[in-house]
Amino acid sequence: MPTDPDPAATSLSGTSLSGTSPSGLPGHREAEPGANDGGRRGSPRPRWGAADLSYIAVFAALIAAFSLIPGIPLAAGVPITLQTLAVILTGMVLGPARGAAAAGLYVAAGLAGLPVFSGFTSGIGVLARPSAGYLLSFPLAALLVGLLVRVLLSRIRRARFAVLFTAGLGTSFLVVHPLGIAGLMLNAKLSFPAALTADIAFWPGDVLKNLAAAAVAVSVFAAFPKLAPAAKPRPKQAHGS
Amino acid sequence: MQLGAYRPGSSLVHRAPLGLKSAAVVLGSVAMLAAAHPLATGAGALLTVLAYAGAGLLRELLLPVRLMWPVLLVLGGFQLWQAGPWTAVTVIGNIFVCVLAARLLVLTVPMPRLLDGVVGLVRPLRVLGADPERFGLALALMLRSVPYLLGSSADVRDSAKARGLERNPRALAVPVVIRAVAYAQQTGDALAARGIGEPDRD
Repeated sequence: MPTDPDPAATSLSGTSLSGTSPSGLPGHREAEPGANDGGRRGSPRPRWGAADLSYIAVFAALIAAFSLIPGIPLAAGVPITLQTLAVILTGMVLGPARGAAAAGLYVAAGLAGLPVFSGFTSGIGVLARPSAGYLLSFPLAALLVGLLVRVLLSRIRRARFAVLFTAGLGTSFLVVHPLGIAGLMLNAKLSFPAALTADIAFWPGDVLKNLAAAAVAVSVFAAFPKLAPAAKPRPKQAHGS
Repeated sequence: MQLGAYRPGSSLVHRAPLGLKSAAVVLGSVAMLAAAHPLATGAGALLTVLAYAGAGLLRELLLPVRLMWPVLLVLGGFQLWQAGPWTAVTVIGNIFVCVLAARLLVLTVPMPRLLDGVVGLVRPLRVLGADPERFGLALALMLRSVPYLLGSSADVRDSAKARGLERNPRALAVPVVIRAVAYAQQTGDALAARGIGEPDRD
């Protein structure tokens, strides 16, 4: 349980500015792991540098922004939000470890009370809502889609869009929907068939969002080739967007 | 954008330590959910309303109800039909009481204190390799990036609308995400140039 804040170190401004970083030399850039995973192989846990930390924080903010902006009205009048699109995209672009950290940071910030969940709600109360399972699935979803994309794109060079879409849709149905159904059963005390029926309502929008996430990821990889897992952008694909 | 729902005040509920308040909310909610009995739900509801009254925030009880009633009406009707009135009352009541009790924390504790509390929760995990300082830095960076990205989303939405693309998720998302990546790279460079956020070297 949180106790009174420790005046020594926990104030956010104090943390960021007078933090205990030993590498306070200006121009200390050569060891920065940056966008590629190469520097982390073989170490027991990832040692993230400032660039990784910045990616994690900004993509957590991206999930927040896409949860807060009003949904896109579809033809039937039902709006879809871009929240899960942002989660899947985060895993695709940042990879499994940083993607899961970004989604986890988003969930942690919302549970702590930042109004970053849809409808500007926040706090641990969301854990009691019927939709809690979907929310808690986000870090795992970013992890899995990041892994799938890294594994598949290192083997398959062609049809990146199809590979990304498959990875995203597979993650949705392996992680997001099962945990969402579990949340509905646990919090709303629904039977499995009833929870499944409620969940199916999200499937069409989910397919659309994964198509969009794959398209956005292709564009991001074209704009920032260093972020692409295959690390060998061919000229033909560089114009893909 | 209004950050946080904090309502300043000097009541006993406002002044109680954050650790005590969150422990009461979490343990009370868990006990009520474990009991799964209409009487427990009633007791939880009574305690929550008393705490709101003590904080002078009775009007704040209405907002979550206004946001959640459509879903809970459907759910309550379904449970009434499937499992009878007592189950319906318990399920709906439990969700409402948990959400309202947790919201009291956000209402009576200023945002920076809440974030400090989360960073404090990470501190015991240091033995497992967690780094509370860098976690706090990431939280602060995220907090700073949300308004930028919301503004960028609004700009992109306006220009997509001008081109008749306001229903195309790709046209809405691509420019925002590209700008977000560039923003993250600039921020990372700025931090690295100042030696902030680099891992401890041992």
